[in-house]
Amino acid sequence: MTGRARARSRGRARGQETAAPGVSKASEPAPVPAPSAEAGLVGRGRQKRGPGPFTEEAALQISAGFQQMKLGERGGRRRDFHDTGINTRQVMEHVKDSKTGSSGAVINLTANYSRILSRPEWVLFQYHVDFKPVMDSRRLRSALLFQHEEVLGPARSFDGALLFLPHRLHNKETVVCSQTRNGENVQITITLTNELPPTSPVCIQFYNIIFRRILRILNMQQIGRNYYNPDDPLEISQHSLTIWPGYATTILRYESSIMMCMDVSHKVLRSETVLSFMANLERKCQGQNYHEMCEKELVGLIVLTKYNNKTYRIDGIAWDHTPINTFKKGSADISFKDYYKNQYALDIKDANQVLLVSHVKKMVITGDAPPGPAMLVPELCYLTGLTDKMRKDFTIMKDLSAHTRLNPDQREKRLTSFLSNIQRNAEAQTEMTKWGLSFDKQLLKLTGRVLGGERLFQGSQWYDYNPQTADWSREMRGLSVISSPPLNCWLLFHTKRNSSEAQSLLQSLNKVSAPLVYFVQYLPLIFVAHIHVVVILPNNNKDRYDTVKKYLCLDCPTPSQCVVGRTLSRPQALMTVATKIVLQMACKMGGELWSVEIPLKQLMIVGIDCYHDTTAGKRSIGALVASLNPTMSRWYSKCVLQHQGQEIMDGLKTALSGALKDYHKFNNCLPARIIVYRDGVGDGQLQSVVNYEVSQIMDCIRSMEQDYKPKLSVVVVKKRISSRFFTYFQDRLTNPPPGTVIDTEVTRPEWYDFYIVSQAVRSGSVSPTHYNVVYDTSGLKPDHMQRLTYKLCHMYYNWQGIIRVPAPCQYAHKLAFLVGQSIHKQPNAQLDDFLFYL
Amino acid sequence: MNPLFSPALHQQRHQFVINFVKMKKPKMVADLGCNDCKLLKQLKFHREIELLVGVDINGDVIKKKMRGLAPLSANYLQPTCDQLCVELYQGSVTQRDARLRGFHLVTCIELIEHLTLTDLDHFTAVVFGYMTPLSVIISTPNSEYNALLPGLSGFRHRDHKFEWNRAEFRSWALKVCLKYSYKVEFTGVGEAPLGMQDSVGFCSQIGVFYRLEGCTGCNVLPFSDEEDVSPYTLLYSVKYPSLRDNNTLRRVLVSEVLYWAEQLKNRWMEEKSSDRNYNSTFSLTEERAEGFNPTHAAIEGWLAEGMDGPVGCCGTGDVDKCEEMLWRNSLKLESGTGSGYISIPLAVLWSCCPKVSELGGSLRNLRHLLMDEPHVNMSQDGAAVLVKYQEQDEEDDDAYLEDGEYSEASWCSHGVEPEEDWETV
Repeated sequence: MTGRARARSRGRARGQETAAPGVSKASEPAPVPAPSAEAGLVGRGRQKRGPGPFTEEAALQISAGFQQMKLGERGGRRRDFHDTGINTRQVMEHVKDSKTGSSGAVINLTANYSRILSRPEWVLFQYHVDFKPVMDSRRLRSALLFQHEEVLGPARSFDGALLFLPHRLHNKETVVCSQTRNGENVQITITLTNELPPTSPVCIQFYNIIFRRILRILNMQQIGRNYYNPDDPLEISQHSLTIWPGYATTILRYESSIMMCMDVSHKVLRSETVLSFMANLERKCQGQNYHEMCEKELVGLIVLTKYNNKTYRIDGIAWDHTPINTFKKGSADISFKDYYKNQYALDIKDANQVLLVSHVKKMVITGDAPPGPAMLVPELCYLTGLTDKMRKDFTIMKDLSAHTRLNPDQREKRLTSFLSNIQRNAEAQTEMTKWGLSFDKQLLKLTGRVLGGERLFQGSQWYDYNPQTADWSREMRGLSVISSPPLNCWLLFHTKRNSSEAQSLLQSLNKVSAPLVYFVQYLPLIFVAHIHVVVILPNNNKDRYDTVKKYLCLDCPTPSQCVVGRTLSRPQALMTVATKIVLQMACKMGGELWSVEIPLKQLMIVGIDCYHDTTAGKRSIGALVASLNPTMSRWYSKCVLQHQGQEIMDGLKTALSGALKDYHKFNNCLPARIIVYRDGVGDGQLQSVVNYEVSQIMDCIRSMEQDYKPKLSVVVVKKRISSRFFTYFQDRLTNPPPGTVIDTEVTRPEWYDFYIVSQAVRSGSVSPTHYNVVYDTSGLKPDHMQRLTYKLCHMYYNWQGIIRVPAPCQYAHKLAFLVGQSIHKQPNAQLDDFLFYL
Repeated sequence: MNPLFSPALHQQRHQFVINFVKMKKPKMVADLGCNDCKLLKQLKFHREIELLVGVDINGDVIKKKMRGLAPLSANYLQPTCDQLCVELYQGSVTQRDARLRGFHLVTCIELIEHLTLTDLDHFTAVVFGYMTPLSVIISTPNSEYNALLPGLSGFRHRDHKFEWNRAEFRSWALKVCLKYSYKVEFTGVGEAPLGMQDSVGFCSQIGVFYRLEGCTGCNVLPFSDEEDVSPYTLLYSVKYPSLRDNNTLRRVLVSEVLYWAEQLKNRWMEEKSSDRNYNSTFSLTEERAEGFNPTHAAIEGWLAEGMDGPVGCCGTGDVDKCEEMLWRNSLKLESGTGSGYISIPLAVLWSCCPKVSELGGSLRNLRHLLMDEPHVNMSQDGAAVLVKYQEQDEEDDDAYLEDGEYSEASWCSHGVEPEEDWETV
């Protein structure tokens, strides 16, 4: 919102190329390379039919050009968060006709989607509006045009150059005359240029704009991208948190219809200003590294200002600035204090507070100097969201989730009441009917398939797990793991205070590990090659943990396991903890715990994820994890630190070559197929994955060996999505069982994508994972792609159950997180073949 | 094009109104001809105003912009004591509407020149004769200045019915004053270039009218017996959250109380646990036995005597000292059966947290407000807030299951039929 609003405040015209040539192009994301104009337009519905002013060809050209154009309510949008217009499916022959799988039992589902209904013949009419003489001000252009309401009718949308109407004007070309305030006569020519079917990208944007209006009518406040209801706040008073319930909505073209996806969203707000937060912090620090602490806590947080509804991300603190400092407003200098006093009647009480810095991404109009960072006054900023510290606070999170965690039943109720609120609101209805639109009153019903449970193998034995809980920690007990390195040489470190915990841990480890094949002995301090270190930490202090990990990952590459003393202090849990520690020790040293059957040979699975470090100069960390053996139990892990202005994939290229070389070392051959699961792709970044990363991966593969052409698939994995699915079980709405695959209706027609619910949750609504196969020469059937993906969700050794994403993604996530949070450097290469970061 | 005025003339006009508001602090302000609500949008930040009304003949322009007058997120987040109600009407200034009567300030910025002279008479009668606000600000173009505006022939806007020079405006204004007993001061914004200021005057001339009658403040309305007329259509109305609204006050107060109670409890527990580390043996029963509470009695005393609490010692600045004295000993553990509570006397909350005392008004009132609040757990006598006491936070209980017996997993030897070969397909 901020970007648009700022653009709005500058009154920038969109689409009016005459005003600022080349500007809108430069500031927009690179247009989608329509692979072939024709293919890109197939399925755009009836572009031209009946009595239209253009030939078929001309209409195609217009709409092809249109693909690059975005309609803005006012000003422009910075980014397309929905990755529209990226058509990856059309080049994959094997999924052109069908991308649905076949295995599993059919299940009836309800999804958090609602269809947008319009009259069958609904078209949006697009007009070009010309002013003679040319009018520079967009505001003036609108005012002049809207003098002719009798011609245009009540429903209209004009962005300065393009006019959209829900009905056809009498003539193809309409000429009207208006007069400016100065009495100047202006001739306005309104020419029909296009008829847009409901599925056209512009119409979709259009629906979203109308829907935003409706949310405003319902008195919802926009924060970030979502809308919240401030009239009905949930207070978590003991932590001074306020939660506003709200909704995240997007209207998009899905597989077979245009739908709105809506999810309940909660905004955590704090009635605490940044100033009082800083004051508290200063008191706690008592002068010691206050600056450092302050930046650690504040940078990256989003604040809401007192004087408008904008949110800003804190990027830094200007320790040398106070509200007395001045900035340029127009031609004059004015102090922040005076500015807020004059503009908003806000008295800044503390004139000595330092200012916050936020780098706002403004669109730069050619000729203007790039805008400087925004300076914010802490006293006028409210904190939103949670700090890392709060996220780690168990009580806060527990109290929060009591309010925000909705089970399927509650969630569905909220959503249907949202829909009926829209239906009931007369003003909202008028707005919709004006444009000839309405919503389905019910949530979408569709079917999915539930894949069968996987059989898990441990050496010569196998077992099934309970498909409802998707967990096999019980089944595993007493079975020996596939393989484990000798664990006879390890060190245990603890402080004097924790000596009793250390003793009991030792005893339990001995007990637990006996059936699990390894030896556990307490040895005096010696260093040998296959050593493992266990450290008992006295508390949750992150610095101490970081130091331990840094030393053991960089200077003295050794697999290590840290455990907080308190975890060991509860005797009833000790055995469980000890078991987990032993398992973790084993796989950190290259042990293999279990496997599932994977019916593909010479296969290498790669998982990629990244971590965005908010503190250390916003350095991003990419991690790549690749399988080394057929059972997917050994992995090569590499982490790269991204340098300024570098794409994350540049560094991962070398990591991938390393993985391929290592695979060769293990198997004496290179893999015949490579499947890359790419996690950590943000909204609106799909384009760069498709265009840049895929070709980088192929470059890297090509450079391995002459004529080496493995089959390659690239799958983009997305966890943070708003799609939710529910199913009826014994007359109650519940979560769908693990293994539920959805590949119809709510998928996107231009992608080869599907959803899998792989994990089981105990409370709240399960969130499905979205898989988008953006590149695929494997020829694998969609069914097999889905099942392989599901199988890989079983392979994460740190959890005896099914997880949300394929194991290599989770490994990559873990690695990137460890490096980003604690080590901040590339770990020692000797650890590459171990899951040392678990 | 070089701007003639900096800041722009319309901004200067609005600034003039804002300066006036800052100075005179009117509580009820109406902007006639509010158009796109720009002035209202600036005025709403001046919270002296309690009722802000906009009227325009064109409902569409209002509708387009009216949501900009909605409270900001921050207004909900931290409501202030100030009250504000914003109302927007579609209607003609030549018509009487009872809802517009008795305001403290009515502004008509660049409005009158859009009226025909007949309508102007109606307008005058409505504003000065019927609405009878304490003050009126009227701005209109000064035609003498037009010669200095480049490229201008005729009126400044095609819809203008007239543009007066200074003398014309003055004579109209004085006539109005005479008829409706107001007095007027003339001024303007948009200064002429140096040396021409006297000969030309301001670009926009402004008349500030004040009602006479001596009895400022009391609005005795001559038309009060006339039946209420309300031809204006209400397009938008919003009430800003305010602490003067009892529900809002209660909500904010409860939040503050619970927050501070939690904070105090945590600090108390921290201290206790550091004691515990020293002693290494600590038991609930022991603690309860020594739950002696000297200040508790004192508080009872204050309450009984109807005093407002220990304001004397902490009202000024020495909060820390007072806190030290008060809270250290006054918190106590009230362990019932099973779950324990920590009792935090209201007086401690009162003195430790300025916000609570500010909101509560008096200790007695605070107790009264909290007594029937379902979210606050009060002690029997209502002198203390009870906060649940949990012995150490329960470790994430779902992470570790009870260590039960090994389940008999049905294992068999490796004899399952393998999956079909996907490669061949």
